[in-house]
Amino acid sequence: MKRSAFLGAGVHTALGAGLAQNIEALFAAPPKAGEAALQVGAENVRVPALLLAERPLDDIEARFWRAAEAVVGHAIAAAGLTQDEVRQAAFLIGTSSLDIAVSEAIYQRELSEGADAHPLTSNSTMGRLAQRLRQAHGIGGPEYTICTACTASANALLYADQLVQSGRVRHAIVVGVEIFNQITALGFHGLELLAKDGMKPFDSARGGLTLGESCAALVIGQARTEGFHLRGGANLCDIHGISAANPDGSTVADVIRLALADAQLAPDQIDGVKAHGTASLMNDEAEAAGMALVFETAPPICALKPFIGHTFGACGVTELILFCGMIERGYFPATPGVCAEPSDLGVRLEQKPLPIRPGVFQLNFFGFGGNNTSLVIANG
Amino acid sequence: MADVIIRGCGDYYAPVEGEALPDVRALAKETLGKQVRRVGRFILLGLVGAARCVGAHAPPAHTAIYLSSRRGDLETNVEVMQDLFARGLAPKPLSFINTVSNASCYYVARHFGLHGRSLFVSGVCFSFETALQAALLDFEAGQVRSALVGGLDTLIAPLAIERRRLGLAPGAPVAEASHWLWLETGPAQPGDLVLEASEAFADRAALIAWLSARGTEKNRAGAGAISGRRRLRRDRRRGGPAPLVPLPRRARLL
Repeated sequence: MKRSAFLGAGVHTALGAGLAQNIEALFAAPPKAGEAALQVGAENVRVPALLLAERPLDDIEARFWRAAEAVVGHAIAAAGLTQDEVRQAAFLIGTSSLDIAVSEAIYQRELSEGADAHPLTSNSTMGRLAQRLRQAHGIGGPEYTICTACTASANALLYADQLVQSGRVRHAIVVGVEIFNQITALGFHGLELLAKDGMKPFDSARGGLTLGESCAALVIGQARTEGFHLRGGANLCDIHGISAANPDGSTVADVIRLALADAQLAPDQIDGVKAHGTASLMNDEAEAAGMALVFETAPPICALKPFIGHTFGACGVTELILFCGMIERGYFPATPGVCAEPSDLGVRLEQKPLPIRPGVFQLNFFGFGGNNTSLVIANG
Repeated sequence: MADVIIRGCGDYYAPVEGEALPDVRALAKETLGKQVRRVGRFILLGLVGAARCVGAHAPPAHTAIYLSSRRGDLETNVEVMQDLFARGLAPKPLSFINTVSNASCYYVARHFGLHGRSLFVSGVCFSFETALQAALLDFEAGQVRSALVGGLDTLIAPLAIERRRLGLAPGAPVAEASHWLWLETGPAQPGDLVLEASEAFADRAALIAWLSARGTEKNRAGAGAISGRRRLRRDRRRGGPAPLVPLPRRARLL
């Protein structure tokens, strides 16, 4: 059963500002991560980061809005929506850290000016980001700001699809944004989850994640005969732990199976899987175990975070767009230099893009707060 | 689609006078029957509201959670920012993890042993209505049969700064609240409160058109299609049965 069709996309990551640049970069090896320098008291901390291309880390307030607004505009243009269609479209944004980077910059500035400074006095309303992006583009339909950590924009797509399928709106604009901020950077640094030498999901040498930045937007609408569309999906709470899925794979398997059931498919009908692949010891273990429980014979598996870093709340829409772009070019993504041989987890990743025909694919996402989401998409 | 019935509602509502915020840790321990450690007001009040909502009943394990808030766990975010930028202290691991506002969904799910859907949603004006719509979409699609839908916002001391954040005049009254509904699908019985819709409209004309269309539909469907609220009033007049879960104190539905 076909659900909403993917009509147009915009994306800005470390790989470039535009879909074509991003897809082109996925045919090469993952880029080497840069570093961001932070200060905690007297201590200097350097964290690995894949920041937005063409947007250096200065003028924090302006860079965020410019990148996010532009990407929404690209998606609307790519989908060819009329002004009237935009006015009636739903707007759903998935993000983990909202515009906290902007609040950090304002608070730091006020502290340095010796003002009576307090955090989050400029904006404490989570929906302000969506409101601003909606107003910039004249989007007038229902508005959702979804914050379920790293599953946020994947969950936004599930509700956007339901708004379209129920006939409440003809189109929905689904956005994922995640912008470099010091709390997230230092939080992961403190959890010792940052990689020293690039992200290597499922690899025996995996050592954590690289911080990623992304603004991505996808316009969806009623099913059409060609192109990618959503086929099914599922979201489940995982109460094993607040920061990791159950390492036995059971909760990961539950959400993968539920998404397959929703798509009315059996595991052997899946032509490829885009894994969450955070390259942390625990999450990769849980994800590999979950896939092993569901798939008797593993389909090709890919991981996109080595290219763009972990873009947290934005990874749902961002990785979906990159994945679809690659399949439309006829190739299943590879990660040269990462997990070339089956690792301790029994997973192997392609070393060069694998020619592939249109088919049915599954994309998995897991987040803090015990939130697991799986999407099934198809083209052709 | 089967009716979506309001099985229970529970709330916490406390106007805050003076500077002292009520002790929610003790209240949470009393309400939940156990202490929840190393979490802030946002998570504690989420638990209190949800626990009051289900009362003595145990929600089925497949129950989904939809939590809405205008500001999320602002307290944890403010603490982490003050520590980092004013005191030069790195975020503590658990505080950092709890900066994601959906941590509150996790604690509610864990307390009741739930493994259904879990969503945290916000909006400038209609956070709770959006969460209700998300739940109704899932009910319509057959994805969910039982749901806890909450609206939660808390305060941070000092209140003078909070009023600045909220754009309120000095001394303006402020309150904390955690309101929850327990929804289940099924054929409605006399006396049941039925939730029919939660919709957003681009403008007044779209709202009027929607209401007119529904009015026409209702008239065609006859007396059987009256709203849950009217049905409840009618059934109360006739001495009809009480809702399955007695509406707890401070119930605001009526």
